[in-house]
Amino acid sequence: MERSNNGISGTIDLNGSIPPSMAVDLTGKVHQLPCCIKFNGPSDVSHYFKPKSTGVIVDGLSVEEAYFRGRKLQGTTVAIPHGYSGFVLGKKMSDAKSKRSKEDSSCWETKAKFQNITLWNHDSLPSENDASLRAFHLFSVATALHQPVSVEDLEAASIDQELEL
Amino acid sequence: MGSLGQLPIWGSKPCIMGIDEAGRGPVLGPMVYGCLYCASSYQKTLSTLQFADSKTLKEEKREELFEELKTNESIGWAVDVIDPRDLSAKMLKKNKINLNEISHNSAIGLVRKTLDLGVLLTEVYVDTVGDPEKYRVKLSEIFPAIKFVVAKKADSLYPVVSGASIVAKVTRDRALRDWVLDESAENMQRNFGSGYPGDPETKAWLDNHKHAVFGFPTLVRFSWGTCNAYSKDSVDVVWEADADEDESNGRASKRQVKLTDIGFTGVKRKSEDIESSGKGRCKFFQARKLELLAQF
Repeated sequence: MERSNNGISGTIDLNGSIPPSMAVDLTGKVHQLPCCIKFNGPSDVSHYFKPKSTGVIVDGLSVEEAYFRGRKLQGTTVAIPHGYSGFVLGKKMSDAKSKRSKEDSSCWETKAKFQNITLWNHDSLPSENDASLRAFHLFSVATALHQPVSVEDLEAASIDQELEL
Repeated sequence: MGSLGQLPIWGSKPCIMGIDEAGRGPVLGPMVYGCLYCASSYQKTLSTLQFADSKTLKEEKREELFEELKTNESIGWAVDVIDPRDLSAKMLKKNKINLNEISHNSAIGLVRKTLDLGVLLTEVYVDTVGDPEKYRVKLSEIFPAIKFVVAKKADSLYPVVSGASIVAKVTRDRALRDWVLDESAENMQRNFGSGYPGDPETKAWLDNHKHAVFGFPTLVRFSWGTCNAYSKDSVDVVWEADADEDESNGRASKRQVKLTDIGFTGVKRKSEDIESSGKGRCKFFQARKLELLAQF
């Protein structure tokens, strides 16, 4: 991706320095919590955060529960829709060759990938109306917006229009 | 857990019940509500069974008395073990439930369960939580057919409550002794002490098991004031539920919201730490917490 001048600054290199097949797979380990943890860094998550399946199903979502800092969380694990992936991005490593990239703080690259995410609510059951789940709606909107229009589509649209008139 | 899955022969005669709790004060482990019941006609014999306030008895004596009453066919008993995870979660909900309410609900649950079994409860003696008279009225409204006696130190006044206190205390001690820690981190110790915040052994255990990100193992009641003393050692965690509370309470924060509404952006609202305001974004994106990121 090249830096453009239309107000966007920052680049993302999804391939990064490591080949995609070698990227760390975090599928099943990515959680979105309903709180802000003011800490960045490693922690012994798997020893302390223990999601359990409840057997309850809401809106076709299978409900899990876990506790964090004394709060009860209810969540559900959803697959990233087909054709998409989740990425964990990090600042691009500056190599010795290019001194410039050291100061360049807006170059990002893939550190890990994931194919599902567990979305957690505090106190409420997960639902298809949760904002985070509804975010996936963007994918069908984006497809509709960006799909090339075929001759047949145009014909169908103009016939519809004529019928309305 | 309790004595019987079915109605005892004497259960259809008028019965009395005592209710008491164990582990209300401790900062860790479950809180246990216990009840003991018998036919009113058995009351005299009951008072000869050496039941006394469980706190005045030695642990071995309590265990012994519990084993005895379990084999006594003229006595019924039941317990409600409230998990520390549930205690914390309820007290830290968006709509917080205080410990008194949790206690009342547990006692109400024990009465209901015994009635559902078919036991003809006519008198119930309860060790009070909060104001005795208010508690008595609350119980009487739910169970109009039962005469409630709610008193301070009921466990030392009424043998049937003393019995209930033994049931509760022994169950709580055993639950803590056999507690299986959720956490699989190395070096987890089981020397919890009594669980009371003042107990040096409990203090030492809390010190050795605090965690910067996770706080404590889930055995600990995070909603206890004792835990706040440790928060300076741990990472800040901001919850939406708390941010809402700050906004709806104090006048100062209300004024801040107004200032930001009319364009003063210097005052940062707490909730902004959690999510951006969504101002200027199309509704479709706002409702889905999506934002175009141009500078990153």
